Amino acid sequence: MVYIDDIRLPNMHFAGILRSPHPHARIVSIDLTRARRAEGVEFALTGAEAAEHTDPIPHFISPLAFGGKSTDVRCLALGKVVYAGEPVAAVVADSRQNAEAAIELIDVEYEPLPFVIDGDEALAADAPRLYEDWDDNVVIQIPFGGGDPAAAFADAEHVIEDELQIQRYSTQPIEPRGYIADWDKSARSYTFYGASQNPHPLKWVLSRALRVKESQVRVIAPAVGGAFGLKMHGHPEESLVCLLSRLSGKPVKWIEDRSETLLIGAREQTHRFKVGFNSQGKISALKDHFVANVGALGAPPGWGMAFLTGMSIPTGYKIENVDVLVTVATTNKSPWNAARGYGKEATNLVMERIIDLVARSLDMDPVEVRRRNLIESHEFPYKTTGGLNIDSGDYHAALDKAVEMIGLDDVRAEQMRLLQEGRHLGVGFAFELTPESGDIPGTLVGGFDTSTVKMSPSGEVTVLTGVTTPGGGNDTSILQIVVDELGVTMADASILQGDTLTTPYGFGNYSGRSMVTGGNAAYLAACDIRVKLVEVASRILETDNTDVELGGGFARRISDPSRSIPIADVAYTIYTLAFATATGVEPPLESTRTYLPGNIQQTPDADGRINIYPTYSNAVHVAIVEVDIETGKVDLQRYGVVHDCGTIINPRFVEGQMEGAIAMGVGAALMEHSIHDPETGVLTTNGFKSYLMPRASDLPMIETMHQVTPSPYTALGLKGAGEAGIGGAQAAVSNAVHNALAPLDITIRKMPLSPGTVLHAIKYREKELKK
Amino acid sequence: MTTHEGVGINVTVNGESRDAIIDVRETLVDFIRVDLGLTGTHVGCRTGDCGACTVTVDGEVVKSCLALGVSADKAEIRTIEGFAESSEHLSIIQTAFWEEFGFQCGYCLPGMLFCTEELLKKNPDPSEAEIREAIDGNLCRCTGYHGIIRAVRRAAEETSQAQREKDELRDEEVWARPGERVDRALRGRESES
Ligand code: FES
Ligand code: FES
Repeated sequence: MVYIDDIRLPNMHFAGILRSPHPHARIVSIDLTRARRAEGVEFALTGAEAAEHTDPIPHFISPLAFGGKSTDVRCLALGKVVYAGEPVAAVVADSRQNAEAAIELIDVEYEPLPFVIDGDEALAADAPRLYEDWDDNVVIQIPFGGGDPAAAFADAEHVIEDELQIQRYSTQPIEPRGYIADWDKSARSYTFYGASQNPHPLKWVLSRALRVKESQVRVIAPAVGGAFGLKMHGHPEESLVCLLSRLSGKPVKWIEDRSETLLIGAREQTHRFKVGFNSQGKISALKDHFVANVGALGAPPGWGMAFLTGMSIPTGYKIENVDVLVTVATTNKSPWNAARGYGKEATNLVMERIIDLVARSLDMDPVEVRRRNLIESHEFPYKTTGGLNIDSGDYHAALDKAVEMIGLDDVRAEQMRLLQEGRHLGVGFAFELTPESGDIPGTLVGGFDTSTVKMSPSGEVTVLTGVTTPGGGNDTSILQIVVDELGVTMADASILQGDTLTTPYGFGNYSGRSMVTGGNAAYLAACDIRVKLVEVASRILETDNTDVELGGGFARRISDPSRSIPIADVAYTIYTLAFATATGVEPPLESTRTYLPGNIQQTPDADGRINIYPTYSNAVHVAIVEVDIETGKVDLQRYGVVHDCGTIINPRFVEGQMEGAIAMGVGAALMEHSIHDPETGVLTTNGFKSYLMPRASDLPMIETMHQVTPSPYTALGLKGAGEAGIGGAQAAVSNAVHNALAPLDITIRKMPLSPGTVLHAIKYREKELKK
Repeated sequence: MTTHEGVGINVTVNGESRDAIIDVRETLVDFIRVDLGLTGTHVGCRTGDCGACTVTVDGEVVKSCLALGVSADKAEIRTIEGFAESSEHLSIIQTAFWEEFGFQCGYCLPGMLFCTEELLKKNPDPSEAEIREAIDGNLCRCTGYHGIIRAVRRAAEETSQAQREKDELRDEEVWARPGERVDRALRGRESES
């Protein structure tokens, strides 16, 4: 495996990037004199100089497309900085060490400005404003919903109101980002190597920012050491590294430091909700007005997560009267990027906490409350108030399986027994709906993708596809589809991804889409080739083409399997006897096909709703925890999940995706938290000693069961896998912790449930009870 | 202004003696990756927290981002490139990680392999908890550790199986002709698969 940092070009130099220490400040002056003279330094650049050669970075998803506000994002700050960590100046040196040493010698004078890092505070009329041409700090405010919430609340037997603060946390793949740019002066073109999830759209972004044609940019994405959304583009360093290469005349590499990866944020939202229901636990009304603190507005697709959190409410529950208001606030924290789950994880967490709160207020079994509110299997396709047209599923069956898998009665008995000893065991359930394979109208977040399948005269198969793999195994799974269709062996097939010069145009990897789109496209292309192989094989085998099967590298008669011929020979015949045996079968053995899934609705319906997802995977999660009420420490003891992602190509790959996502969700529930110092506005969790992620001993084995309800809207019935797991795990663990603390009647309104937070809640409650 | 003069060192890397002149500020991981060109050792944090940079120095598992290159003078270093006994065959541990989906993106894999090797040397039959403890210094963001735990268990079982076979062969060596020995070894392998 060759990752970005393993690539070395002749005469390669290294970029060093100076970042702002202030969350909000005017740049008075930058003096590069000392840095330019430093050892090994070839070149140095300020934001003002960069702006002479570049245009703003196009937004991956422009808020303007949805009626919001936007701002110019540049590769180096121009005039002022809006977050601590914003790139301010850069150097090119002959080694990483020299580049790092040189940036210390850049002299910048700042005039610090008042700043705001809290989402609610940023909405106050007198809050410091990030962008002077905006009249507030709101990127966009969007309502979702339907029915008559006011009337439904008035009629509701019970109403509860509460709040949930979801912390800022991010995906943190173990491989940080990295880019290499190589400007070819004579060809006037860039070759850009980057750990990128979306090479083709990135090519377009680079061409815009760098003022060149798309044909002057080639993007090559090497193996990626985990991505999870973080390696979607719009980052300032992408175009910066290109510009540095052009201006310095050297190939330039930049590899991110972990403290820089940790700057990239996501997911921080504060939900204030109200739910109306009857004594049977049936929910009739829901209101959720939430604020997402997206930090400064970046060009990556981060802010869009909040949009989809709102759109996905109320997940798979049949609630007809819904009032959602999404407020996307900018603050002086560093920008977001996309993070696995893409906002739907927050929806799942909030909905699942709501269900458990309803259950608790009625003293009902939370499983039963879910059963009474989930969409029933005969009701699909089901259109939610947010506009989602949910394709298929059997949520009740999945719930039953989860109950059985975990042995709920035994767990509850054990819970009672342990409570006698003063020990707090808890069990928590979560239903999770994961819309997958999205398409955002008017953006290069496309819902389709394209694959090419070729077979050479020697029978070798090559697949080229517009989707990329972040290391989750979609390359192998796509190959498997093709190999099965063509009857050849894995040893005779290979796949190429991630090079904009050789692969068909495609959108890359996000939204659990790779198999649904790239996999189906490869399937269609393989079918085209199969038809030709079968036709010519039938002529060679002197039989009807319905009497030919392909398998194990051979074409054979179904009626008489002893009559067979290697598929390679059939291929050779097609290329060499085009005017005889293979006449009428058009060579070459090559097909490029695009797969457009059904169900996507780009044009708004009468209620203004669009449906951006073709298909919806679902899962039921269950977690068992023990909470130590002396220390607040949560011990996750068992974890089970019933997962339905439609047809499964390769169960182990699907399970691997789910297991990894669950681990992330457990981290989100219990420990992961990006914290900014309120006094300085600077990120304090800038390494893995302060930003804690789950280690092996924090997790149990994950028990997985599959349920298969194929999607009616995708060719193979796939629903996509990869995004699911985060919200489900975060919710199941959170519900389990609350269940463990039920004897104390505690509700914790701030995530994550770290020992400190849990202990604080226990102590606070104990004090209350004493009064 | 100081210029950073190189310092001469000699190390044995994967059995091969190498002389090098290195910048005193350079960490061991950069020396291995950049100067020696052995890029199988990865970098995830440079603060000793992720384990992507794991190698062995004089037989001990170390995180090479925490040491300076110069400190490795005269040491014996083993990187992932020298992990398998031969370049054609994966080791038992590597095969187990392959079979059990013990990795996805592969970035953490070298570190996990070294930790597994060290664990199995000390403890040929580790429990799940012992495995988790052994790899606790190494972060994996893709697998949730699930496949890794299974891979380590499988590696443990197959290592002891291989050991048993070796022992049996040694017992019978006296009696068997060379041809039969090979036969038996092959038969053993077949019955396993
Ligand atoms: S790079 Fe050495 S421990 Fe992370
Ligand atoms: S496999 Fe990706 S970090 Fe472990």
